[in-house]
Amino acid sequence: MSILEVRKLTKQFGGLTALNNISFKVKEGEIHGLIGPNGAGKSTVFKNIAGFYTPTKGEIVYQGKKISGNQPHIIAKMGIVRTFQETTLFQEMTVFENVLMGSLAKSDINLFSAILGLDKQQQKAAREKVLEVLEFMGLTDRKNQLASELPLGSQRTLAISIALASEPKLMLMDEPFAGMNMEETNHMMDLTRKVQESGITIVLVEHDMKAVMGLCHFLTVLNFGHLLAEGTPEEIRHNEQVIEAYLGGAK
Amino acid sequence: MELILQSIVNGLIQGGFFALFAVGLVLIFGVMGVVNFAHGELVMVGAYTVWVLHAQNGVPFIPVVMIAIIVVTAIGLLMERFLFRPTCNDPLAGLICSIGILFILQVLATVVGGDGPSKQVPPPYHGTLVLFDFLHVPYQRVFSFFISAAGLGTLWYFLTRTKFGWALRAVAQDREASALQGININRISMIAIGVGAALAGLAGALMAPLANINPHMGHNVIITAFIVTIVGGVGSLSGAVMAAVIYAMFHTFITVYFGGVIATICGLLLMVVVLIIKPTGIMGVKVSE
Amino acid sequence: MKIIIRLRKIIALIILLAGLIVLPHYLEFHYQDLLIFLIVNVLVVASYRIVTLTGEWSLIHAVMMGVGAYTAALLFKNYNAAMWFTLPLAGGAAALTAALLSFPLFRMTQFYFLIGSFAAGEAIRLTWMQFIFPFGGSGGLSGIEPPIIGSIDFMDPIPYYYLALGVVLICLFILYRIENSKIGMTLHAIHWKAPLAESVGVDTWRYRALAFIIGSFFVGIAGALKIHYLGTITPNQFGIGFMVFILIWVIVGGYKTIYGPLIGVVVLTIFDESVRGFGELRPAIYGGVLIISILFLPLGLESIYPKILTWCGIGSNSSDGPPP
Repeated sequence: MSILEVRKLTKQFGGLTALNNISFKVKEGEIHGLIGPNGAGKSTVFKNIAGFYTPTKGEIVYQGKKISGNQPHIIAKMGIVRTFQETTLFQEMTVFENVLMGSLAKSDINLFSAILGLDKQQQKAAREKVLEVLEFMGLTDRKNQLASELPLGSQRTLAISIALASEPKLMLMDEPFAGMNMEETNHMMDLTRKVQESGITIVLVEHDMKAVMGLCHFLTVLNFGHLLAEGTPEEIRHNEQVIEAYLGGAK
Repeated sequence: MELILQSIVNGLIQGGFFALFAVGLVLIFGVMGVVNFAHGELVMVGAYTVWVLHAQNGVPFIPVVMIAIIVVTAIGLLMERFLFRPTCNDPLAGLICSIGILFILQVLATVVGGDGPSKQVPPPYHGTLVLFDFLHVPYQRVFSFFISAAGLGTLWYFLTRTKFGWALRAVAQDREASALQGININRISMIAIGVGAALAGLAGALMAPLANINPHMGHNVIITAFIVTIVGGVGSLSGAVMAAVIYAMFHTFITVYFGGVIATICGLLLMVVVLIIKPTGIMGVKVSE
Repeated sequence: MKIIIRLRKIIALIILLAGLIVLPHYLEFHYQDLLIFLIVNVLVVASYRIVTLTGEWSLIHAVMMGVGAYTAALLFKNYNAAMWFTLPLAGGAAALTAALLSFPLFRMTQFYFLIGSFAAGEAIRLTWMQFIFPFGGSGGLSGIEPPIIGSIDFMDPIPYYYLALGVVLICLFILYRIENSKIGMTLHAIHWKAPLAESVGVDTWRYRALAFIIGSFFVGIAGALKIHYLGTITPNQFGIGFMVFILIWVIVGGYKTIYGPLIGVVVLTIFDESVRGFGELRPAIYGGVLIISILFLPLGLESIYPKILTWCGIGSNSSDGPPP
């Protein structure tokens, strides 16, 4: 059962074709890897799914419904949340507030209940949810620290916590392992698995091959905006074209 | 028909002035990222210089125009060195500083000229050029038009044919990359504001015999410059020149038929419409991500 | 510890309030006038803060105040409407204008928004100037009066001061509640990282528009409060000149906390009075102060307060801000 389907996705910027006729399916409950050399168009795929870009051609189908062309916040409300490549947090808020933002973001604006303080119940539920997420991600000890004061590893964990607090069904993770040392990478791999085991489908863009091969159930390989190969990590590892692209292109 | 032709000619001449000060604003914004709110006041200082030296003290017009350019350029350079450079990381701070300068220059003008009615400068060139029996263009306006055109031509030559002009355009496109290329950003900023201020001074000096001179004349100038800049495309000099001419015609026509205030309202609405439809302006290019 | 801090805040608040209530009785007539305008301007900057929370600097706030003021003036002149009626309607008219303008304006951000808001504001202001009927043209309208209830004539500064103080305090309380609610937090979040906020489901356009509408509502009320006391209204009262003053108050005061702009408007109004003797030089002194504060005090006057505390040895507990 596929939760997300990318159908013949093409994205052009002016005359430049960043993505050319890409199709793949993401199975519900799996960790799906999206890999490829630099400039292959992985992040562009993400931005199309999350609604930051509109596809030039083709469509993106989520739970049987076409979602491409919608704005990011609408897609987020449907249950697709992305994390960012560079560490993107609300730097001047505390860890707790960051996650609270994630949990409150989807709820509607009600000016009068905000002024009169009638949304206590909702606020309380949101706060409990935040504590739960922080506990799950192991950030409870740091909840009153400012986001900008956290070490890199914890900042990444926080970014995922924010996404998690908005109760997504599908999480798009953009290079969560970039710049991490061995220990941090292992910790992040455990967390990613934990998130997946809690029932959330994950699409992962990543360069760290060890992490990708260890985590993903299925891989899609892109090269220069084209679909190069698909398969399980084992199949991809032995795929001639993929080896060629990585060895020939990057180094 | 005659009225239309006359309006086109008047609009064209007006467009020359608009282009002179709008181009300066674009240049400063492009290179330094600062919206210079005091740009209208630079024009005002140029006009006051002419009033003080030419109308009050009888110094001949041409040297006075030169002096006006020098005075205004000096003010611009001081602003760059002591205000915009220290605040270059925060565009808002630069804008606020320029508002501070706006106040100071207005008060300075009041001190120099008093707070009475607007000043007039008698036109140094008399007589009217008559074309095809019905087009009447005072020589003063003809003269101003050719000088503005020459000013813009010089700018064009400077930007496209000289090393500094090339460096200046590079900085406007990408500040960081230019710094990495070894371009001295501070010096380029000095040049940008120097050139921008010089053009504002020239515009002020040329307008002096044709306009009401008072400490608050900068207000209309800055509104016009904003409209022209936005319509032409922020960061596009040729767009600004084109928009200046188009807007001047537009403004002249509506003024003839409906009055000046309505013309300005329409101009502002035009600008909002352009912002909605094509925020990058008519000549702006969309930056691809 | 928390209770002590809270208690200290409440006591400070009570002292401040008591001070505000007795203050006009110790002032000359001229200063009583000034106090009323100061109270109104407090509401102007407090409402502007809501708009700037998302990080966009609008240049239309002064004109929105004018929309409220003109609404109140026209209602009074044409229908002799009571002030209880004109105040909320003034706010409503400004909010409605803001709602309509938010469609074009919030397609832009940053520099474009700044210029776009300026242009839209000037277009509205020039409309007041152009149309003698009903706006009175550049001469504006006059004879707008405050109410008379029983034996209290609000034309007197002291009763009107209490009226304005009451209205402004209620408005400030509501604004404070909004900033400290989920809405305020979301606005902060949009300021820091709009794409992140969007990616977890925040409709940034709606929140930007909402902040703009709320800010305009309250500044509309401020406009009505001002005009009922002043009695005359002209388009030039709400021009770029006044807008610049709003910016100065906010920036010199500091815009990181809710108190900064309030400190700014109070301190600069007192400063403005103290340089009254300089006559026509006053704007230049203002300009100079503005430049100096930007260059040497970029975080505003509010940033001095924790420093003073540290100097006095009271401690560097920065979480305990100054009383509102």
